[in-house]
Amino acid sequence: MLDIKKNREGSKLEFALDGRLDTITAPQLEEEVKASLDGVTELIFDFSGLAYVSSAGLRVLLSSQKTMNEKGRMVVKNVSEEIQEIFDVTGFSDILTIE
Amino acid sequence: MNTSWDNEKLTIGLEGRIDSGNAAEVENEINEVIKDKDPSALVLDAEGLEYISSAGLRVILRLRKKYPELSVINVKSDVFEIFEMTGFTEMMKVEKAYRKVSVEGCEEIGRGANGSIYRIDKDNVVKVYNNADALDEIRHEREVARLALILGIPTAISYDVVKIGDSYGSVFELLNAKSFSSILANEPEKIDWCVEEYVEMLKRIHSTEVPAGKLPDMRETVISWAEFMQDYLPEKAGKKLLALVEAVPHDDHMIHGDYHTKNLELQDDEVLLIDMDTLAVGNPVFELGSMFNAYRGFFELDHDGVRSFQGFSYEMAEKFWYKTLAKYLGTDDEAVIRSAEDKARIIGYTRLIRRSIRRGGLEDKDRKAEIDLWTKELIELLEKTDTLIIDNELEKVSKNNDLDIEAVEENLNKVMAFVDENLEAVGCSMKSQMQIDIAVEEVFVNICKYAYHPEKGRAVVRVAVSDEPVQVRITFIDHGKPYDPLLKDDPDVTLSAAEREIGGLGIFMVKQTMDAVEYEYKDGSNILTLVKKL
Repeated sequence: MLDIKKNREGSKLEFALDGRLDTITAPQLEEEVKASLDGVTELIFDFSGLAYVSSAGLRVLLSSQKTMNEKGRMVVKNVSEEIQEIFDVTGFSDILTIE
Repeated sequence: MNTSWDNEKLTIGLEGRIDSGNAAEVENEINEVIKDKDPSALVLDAEGLEYISSAGLRVILRLRKKYPELSVINVKSDVFEIFEMTGFTEMMKVEKAYRKVSVEGCEEIGRGANGSIYRIDKDNVVKVYNNADALDEIRHEREVARLALILGIPTAISYDVVKIGDSYGSVFELLNAKSFSSILANEPEKIDWCVEEYVEMLKRIHSTEVPAGKLPDMRETVISWAEFMQDYLPEKAGKKLLALVEAVPHDDHMIHGDYHTKNLELQDDEVLLIDMDTLAVGNPVFELGSMFNAYRGFFELDHDGVRSFQGFSYEMAEKFWYKTLAKYLGTDDEAVIRSAEDKARIIGYTRLIRRSIRRGGLEDKDRKAEIDLWTKELIELLEKTDTLIIDNELEKVSKNNDLDIEAVEENLNKVMAFVDENLEAVGCSMKSQMQIDIAVEEVFVNICKYAYHPEKGRAVVRVAVSDEPVQVRITFIDHGKPYDPLLKDDPDVTLSAAEREIGGLGIFMVKQTMDAVEYEYKDGSNILTLVKKL
């Protein structure tokens, strides 16, 4: 299960995620992101409610990062220790801006 | 204040709330009545009591000093909880008020050895016990249900005891549930799905180890049946029966004892086991014996009987039983299935014959015919049987914790739940659990996507936990195209986002976070094993 809360202020867009980002839920987030990026220069993912990220979730983050590289910046915040470890192992810590 | 006077015994009714606001007043009133009557025994009737605080409890304590035999009766269940919590139920006689319930016109949804289960409203069912003095049985059933739940078997636990006429009943919450019998009766096309869920639960029961002494040993029970049979079988057959049962080794895995489709409920998407009073430990053959009876044994001369008991036809019962055995044994080989069935029939007939004889069956013409038929079959079976242990195949499936499931992404959550349950049982850190979850997801989703593409197929997920070293081995078996994911090149994790490929990360993460990943292609199966130290 994944609960996605979206909050847009001007060109800043924030997604607060609650639950699990896995094979089942990642397409949901991917669709939301794709449909909302028009005119966005700052994309923020708030992971404070996120318990789990699998490679399907990482794929969505990577494709979002690629898109945002061309239009502005992307930030991932409130990352739990367990998820940070996944980012470290996969080299995502170097790709993503984690606050 | 309501009081009644009976042969030196004074009963005083307690009303409403008793708390620090009125405790002194209530105490005065009671003392006035006592002074007036000077009884030799005192009973407090709590039928009208809604709440009692510690100030009220102190009043009772002081009364008890004068009347050591003081008892409190008709206590409502939430007030009873107060007495229980404060330890009063242990130091004096506190009797609960049993709610009165009627089951007239209610649907019977289950039936077991010692009672029947009725739905009393949308959310609740009540099990009515045959035995009029069933409080001990109710306590036993609640204890074993609690034990089963702790050991990981999904079941309902009763939350209230009620009176139904002169019988006792226990009430369970069971929302929107329907039994597997009613599914088979009303939606016979779902038979394969039912078999799958039914066998999955059966394997779960049979792979559950029970701490010593917590449940009765079915082997001893069956030995006592075999001893009873000595008087009713030819000497040679009787001796062989006893020897065969005695040769079944002790087994501390759980068996349900009355595992038929009326005792399995579907509640929303969850499968629940009910009617737990027959729970025991023992070799699976004892379980299969009682299962054979529920579908075939009881109804061999009376094929219509199955419909009034289960709600479906004898043909359906036969088909369901056969498919269940095949699935449980993990084989389509009819010879293997029939051989296991024969062993089950030996246990089944032994039980049926003894039961019928003890209920006077030999004195009734129709029932005597049944006993004769069962006895004839039993003697024939005993002649050709050398062991009651079911073939290795079964040993293999019941000792391991397997999930055999269609490899589609929609089943991912089921696979995760299965693995996590096993991990919870050993106590696994959040971090390890997440890494294992990720690895399991990657491997299972890979099988879903590629192993059988474009067709569909099944996968077996097997979880084995060992103590020394503390580690978990998770094995995935599929019969799809040979594919060794370990041969895939690792992605370059030092590249920037722009250079990184989307994808290809999954198996790399698995290799990074597991302590070992092994792949083997054997007998047409891909076998991938993950090992993680805990």
